[in-house]
Amino acid sequence: MTGDPGAFATYYPTLLRYVAVAVGLGILMYGLYRLLRLAGVKHEPATGFTLVVPWIVGFLIFVTFPIGLSLYLSFTEYNILWDRPKPLADPLFNYKRALSIRIVELPEGERPIQVLGTMEGETPETVRYREIGRFNWRGKEYVIGATDGYFLKGVWLTLRYAVLSVPLGMAGALGVALLLNQNVKGVGFWRTLYYLPAVLPAAAVALLWYWLFAPSSGLVNWLLSPIYRLLDMQPLGWFTDKSLVLPSFIIMGLWGIFGANTVILLAGLKNIPKDLYEAAAIDGAGTFTKFRHITIPMLSPALFYNLVTNTIAALTIFTQQAFIPTDRQDGWFVNWFIYNEAFNFGRMGYASALGWMLALLVILLTLLIFRSSAAWVFYEGARQEAGGA
Amino acid sequence: MKKSRHVLILTLLVVALLPLGAIVPAVAQEPVTLRITNWAGVEEAAEFQQIVDEVNANNTEFQIVYEPKPDDYYTQLQTQLAGGTAPDLFWLDQDHMAWAYDGVLLDISEYLANDDRDVANPEDYFPGVWQTVALNDGVFGLPWIAQPVVLYYNRDIFDAMGVEYPTADWTWDDFKAAAEALTTEEHYGFTLNGWPPIHMFIWSFGGEVISEDLQTSPIDTPEAIAGAQFYADMIYNPVCCPTEEVLAEEGFAEMFKAGRVAMFMGGAADDLDRVEGLNVGVSPVPKGVNGENVTFAWTAATVINAKTEHPDLAYEALIQLTEGIHNWKIVSPRVSQATVEHLVASEPRKEANAEAILAAVPYMRAFRIVPRFAEWSQIFWEDFQDPLFHGEDTAENLAADARILLEDVLGD
Repeated sequence: MTGDPGAFATYYPTLLRYVAVAVGLGILMYGLYRLLRLAGVKHEPATGFTLVVPWIVGFLIFVTFPIGLSLYLSFTEYNILWDRPKPLADPLFNYKRALSIRIVELPEGERPIQVLGTMEGETPETVRYREIGRFNWRGKEYVIGATDGYFLKGVWLTLRYAVLSVPLGMAGALGVALLLNQNVKGVGFWRTLYYLPAVLPAAAVALLWYWLFAPSSGLVNWLLSPIYRLLDMQPLGWFTDKSLVLPSFIIMGLWGIFGANTVILLAGLKNIPKDLYEAAAIDGAGTFTKFRHITIPMLSPALFYNLVTNTIAALTIFTQQAFIPTDRQDGWFVNWFIYNEAFNFGRMGYASALGWMLALLVILLTLLIFRSSAAWVFYEGARQEAGGA
Repeated sequence: MKKSRHVLILTLLVVALLPLGAIVPAVAQEPVTLRITNWAGVEEAAEFQQIVDEVNANNTEFQIVYEPKPDDYYTQLQTQLAGGTAPDLFWLDQDHMAWAYDGVLLDISEYLANDDRDVANPEDYFPGVWQTVALNDGVFGLPWIAQPVVLYYNRDIFDAMGVEYPTADWTWDDFKAAAEALTTEEHYGFTLNGWPPIHMFIWSFGGEVISEDLQTSPIDTPEAIAGAQFYADMIYNPVCCPTEEVLAEEGFAEMFKAGRVAMFMGGAADDLDRVEGLNVGVSPVPKGVNGENVTFAWTAATVINAKTEHPDLAYEALIQLTEGIHNWKIVSPRVSQATVEHLVASEPRKEANAEAILAAVPYMRAFRIVPRFAEWSQIFWEDFQDPLFHGEDTAENLAADARILLEDVLGD
């Protein structure tokens, strides 16, 4: 027997499991239906509940269970290659490891690593404080150490990325939406064109930008080459120069933000009643006044939606960095950092703790945005219910 | 109506289960299926499939199904191992042999002890390569390649500059002097970018990065500092080598292929000696303080999943596959196969340089593999090599700090 000895023989266990799952779900659905009917539920609602069972089961197994498991793992020491996690003497160790900071005096001639020491308490491995900064106070030099400075650096990078890329992206998307809202010839083509980034795979887009930003053969540096020659400077190392890593990712991030945001804002613009503009024009309002006092308030629910979704997306950026290698010293986005801890360094427990901290950060910032919405988001329906205009 | 609906549901369930009856007896008569995976791309996978086919043709007890994973290999493999669906056999490069410490690889030392075939004889493997599978008091796979780093040189540039070709007798000082003499506005003498590994230079100068007992990282000894400093003095230094900006602009090996670099250290199997329009020679790397041409060996092994349901057959498959690979990949990691005839039979295109490659083989060394090797390597790069290459501190200071961190990893 040569060649493939039988893909069918190899995959039949998978096929068996597939059939078993289908049969199991069928039995569960049938049983639930009978149970509901016996409990006096009418045919229609009983059928409805029965038909959503596969999705509820899928949600419990593939969403709820992993979330719960990751919370449990965050209090353990676990390598994905191990059969089971090991309990930690201090269940909060993973969280403390990520956030512990120490400030100590640096005696003259001493090296920071010698004076900063290690994390106290019962730890599964030696965790050493590493220098993340220094300062002078009252004639003495102090060194700031962190047990995971790379994580803190990653959080700082991610926050800066979100703070810079989200407003820029939204402003750009608003500008494009305003242009696409004009009644010009071929507007359908332009709308399709500007939506394209939203449907292209993020991985393909990341690779495209990596090539565009390539130091030697990239299109960006080729376009800038006259300026380089004029100023007698070396081409910029977009993803390789430490100071350009963040700007490069921001420029790349704007591409993806335009597509979906523009469509949502365009829909919002279409929903603004024309009579508002007409009334304002009769009152002598100019273009900017109409934009400031009609367009922005009426568009604020769409802007709010974009702000929330874009902030969450920016804080959880992953794919772009997975395809564009940068040095950890220059900062890794938090999600990429978590992935590496889990799969490259075998610290799934620690990665789970970092994941939960990122989730809390995202929730916190989202709540802040929600709390701020009362001050700037205009809900016409709510106003009418309250008896307003 | 109600009854007919029940009959319909039951019929559907029976129909869904029908394939089980058809499958189970059929499978029972088949030989055991073993799965193997590796990172091979299209061409390499097609060649590997031929070896698998030959093994399958000679066996009735098992048949091997090959599942190449050219992308994101280690993430996929880890996920499969965690989910209990990993193949019976798989490839690991030396960096990932640290998985042996996590209990996911089968210890084959007992099998080897009872097997008198040459391919199963640990004594027939070069010790510098065997150490990557002989871990944790066991043996966790068989190396299938041992590719020493050799020195490729562009004869035309040497001739034009009147510099004599490299030989195995060159010292590192000879090498450095030649690299500087070969550097002009048109070309550089040599190139470095973190490759070849700095470990090789430290070994050659008499130092170590991980001690033999795997307990210390003595990178702050005078010998280790000398090796690291030699590397740091050359890398990105326009006196002999391209700067970081030039490398970013023109590529690394690409510069050698374009005739912009006179000497390049690459793996013995690389295609650098058959670039069209280039007249390339091969030599062992310069000799170190103990008179040996110590070089780095890139190696990888085929290993068995500790959870395989058929360990005996998986071992047999491992032996037969490894024998096949040793006649395919160069350089074979076996002492008995370190001959010009064997090397040329495996890769005829290396005939002209086979002797130079084999001269490098006795002195090759792979990494010493420790638990948490990935973390150790990351620290070694971030806290020692990278800042050293960029002149952020002296080699002595960096080595002293990095040693503390590296030994934290080794000591846990």
